[in-house]
Amino acid sequence: MKTFSKGVHPFYNKDLTCNLSIEKISLSSKLVIPALQHLGSPSEVIVKKGDEVAIGQLIAKASGFVSANIHSPVFGKVAKISPKPIVGGRMANHIEIDVDIEKTSQFVWEKQNIDLIKLASEEIINKIKDAGIVGLGGATFPTHIKYTPPKDKTIDILVINGAECEPYLTCDHRLMVEKADEILKAVEIVAKILPLKSIIIGIEANKPDAIKTFNEKIKNYNLPIEVVPLKVKYPQGAEKMLIHATTKRVVPSGKLPLDVGVVVSNVGTLYAIYEAIYFNKPLIERVVTISGDVVKKGGNFLVPIGTPIEHILSYVEVDLKKAYKVIFGGPMMGVAVPSLDYSITKGSSGILFFSEKMARVEEETPCIKCGSCMKACPMNLMPNRLASFSKAKKWDEIKNINLYDCMECGSCAFVCPAKIDIVGWIRYAKNYIKAKNL
Amino acid sequence: MDLKKEGFILSSSPHIKIPVSTRKIMFLVIITLLPTIVISILYFGLSVLVLYLTAIISCMATEAIIKLIRKQKVTSIFDGSAIVTAILLVMTLPPSIGWQKVALGSFIAIAVAKELFGGLGQNIFNPALVGRAFLAAAYPVSITTFSKPNTVFPFLADSVSKATPLAAAKFDKVFTDISSLFFGQVGGCIGETSSLTLIFGGIILLIFGLINWRLVFSYLGTVALLTTIFWLKNPAVYASPIFHLFSGGLILGAFYMATDMVTSPITNIGNFIFGIGAGILVVLIRLFGGYPEGVMYSILFMNACTPLINKFTRTKAFGS
Repeated sequence: MKTFSKGVHPFYNKDLTCNLSIEKISLSSKLVIPALQHLGSPSEVIVKKGDEVAIGQLIAKASGFVSANIHSPVFGKVAKISPKPIVGGRMANHIEIDVDIEKTSQFVWEKQNIDLIKLASEEIINKIKDAGIVGLGGATFPTHIKYTPPKDKTIDILVINGAECEPYLTCDHRLMVEKADEILKAVEIVAKILPLKSIIIGIEANKPDAIKTFNEKIKNYNLPIEVVPLKVKYPQGAEKMLIHATTKRVVPSGKLPLDVGVVVSNVGTLYAIYEAIYFNKPLIERVVTISGDVVKKGGNFLVPIGTPIEHILSYVEVDLKKAYKVIFGGPMMGVAVPSLDYSITKGSSGILFFSEKMARVEEETPCIKCGSCMKACPMNLMPNRLASFSKAKKWDEIKNINLYDCMECGSCAFVCPAKIDIVGWIRYAKNYIKAKNL
Repeated sequence: MDLKKEGFILSSSPHIKIPVSTRKIMFLVIITLLPTIVISILYFGLSVLVLYLTAIISCMATEAIIKLIRKQKVTSIFDGSAIVTAILLVMTLPPSIGWQKVALGSFIAIAVAKELFGGLGQNIFNPALVGRAFLAAAYPVSITTFSKPNTVFPFLADSVSKATPLAAAKFDKVFTDISSLFFGQVGGCIGETSSLTLIFGGIILLIFGLINWRLVFSYLGTVALLTTIFWLKNPAVYASPIFHLFSGGLILGAFYMATDMVTSPITNIGNFIFGIGAGILVVLIRLFGGYPEGVMYSILFMNACTPLINKFTRTKAFGS
């Protein structure tokens, strides 16, 4: 079975939610929508307090090249616009909307009459851009930029990321099982805008139902498409690792997938593209996995962007008294939040609730140079060195040992017997060098 | 805990970690050494047990005192690393050495080789071997006086002084038979005499990935290869490669000393370089040097080279 070299084997714990169908939850009476939900510059808020907004209406527009539009997921009224920390700590404006639950509930997105043959490539790109679609795998990079390579680059392979290698998360798994046709229709759309010679769906072998579904469905599509089962290993879904495993192409250090003619899109992103083209529906909701060891009954929920965590909690059984850590995303790369005062954004693949036992931060002991981190690092770096150089503020040396090749997947810190916060130190170095312009 | 008041725990990703700690690694190493410890007590008598205990107490006490002086956490003495050093040091000493010398060697091992460099993880040289090197320099006679183990009456070691197989081979050209070497019925240091239990423990460490097979096999392989060449040239003067592999401290050194994580290279190529370099040194010392045995110096010398090896064998990042 195809895979990359090195990596780690965490307990996957996906059984908690992998068989639970995607459930649409009721509307929250209030949405809090951050104007920064993607990689890049914050969106510019274009509504003001007291404005009536309609479902799908643009409420914050992209500012700058790497940015994305944000739309209202509901009918309602803007109650407040104020700055607040987003997940991860950066400050951003938040648009608070009082939801007109009745009006929103009655609204149905109409299917458009789409003739793919007549659809121009620019038109598709513009629709993707207007819809505010970003990578839903977690990195939230604006999708339209990925699909418009510079003139001198040709993209001939689309890799569909269905690896979902993060433990606990099952939102992509459920999408693949339940929305395979929609995802494949989105692939047809992408095939219109890129000169694709080959399309690969990479799925980890622990999702046999998803692999089976796609193997059956692809026969109905006239696409050069192949389902590639991947070995269950973390970080199988990391872009560079996935590309290497499925295409044998190596993305050079400091380069992007498009430099080797590849574009990678998450299955959730493709589903969003399908909705944008076939329903004119912007990205206003996503599937979120709720799980964790203090969650008795979790699930995969279709949630409007901006829905506060507390609203979702009524759909799950979680022992909040026993919850000591709340994580946005997966346990390997997700971000811990200090309170429940956050809402779902485009990048929220999951919310995990961990017990004291799981949340305990173990005491750091000296590095014994065991080399476990090096055996784990999929990028073949020396994480122990990166961490110790960061601690010693050796900024020139740390750049020489490929600091920027680290994608912070966490494999090193996951295996470290000395419990050194390797990823934290690497991030510290990156931020310090950036802030001080070194 | 009031969650609303104190907030949830914040920490950098990843939020899950494997249940392996430095302490667990050290205690696994100790467990794999237990068969050899038991065998050595059976062969050389209860006095050896006293030596082990002396070394453990001395190592831990030394570390505790230094941690106190440096105002660091004293609890680190329970991480198991001092115990590993103590056991390995005793294993490199002859059974007839007195407990006072063991205590002194333990002190040097921890105080000079480990704590002076900054404690666990910072030392350049293997502490146990530094302890032994100190004793070898300070008490050259005691450290080369060996008794033959008594396997007929366990616990009653006979005190007849006996040359080690390596010394016999080197100076008298008398080659001990292999089965005696393998099961430990030879004169020698406390932990060096039974290759069988050492290899058993070493294999467990290899299975758990706690020692690097590249180092072990390149070290043993180099010794085997070079001694084969000399043996084929003149078997009357040079002992067989099997003899060289299973005599002296080579097995102990290859599985437990050279592979010390802290003092051996972290890169895969570095481990090969270390192993080959140490192998060449052992053969040079055993066949042409002044000492019958060269394992200790071969490892200490390569320890000194390790920072350099690490520097020149950097890994190549994916895609560069």
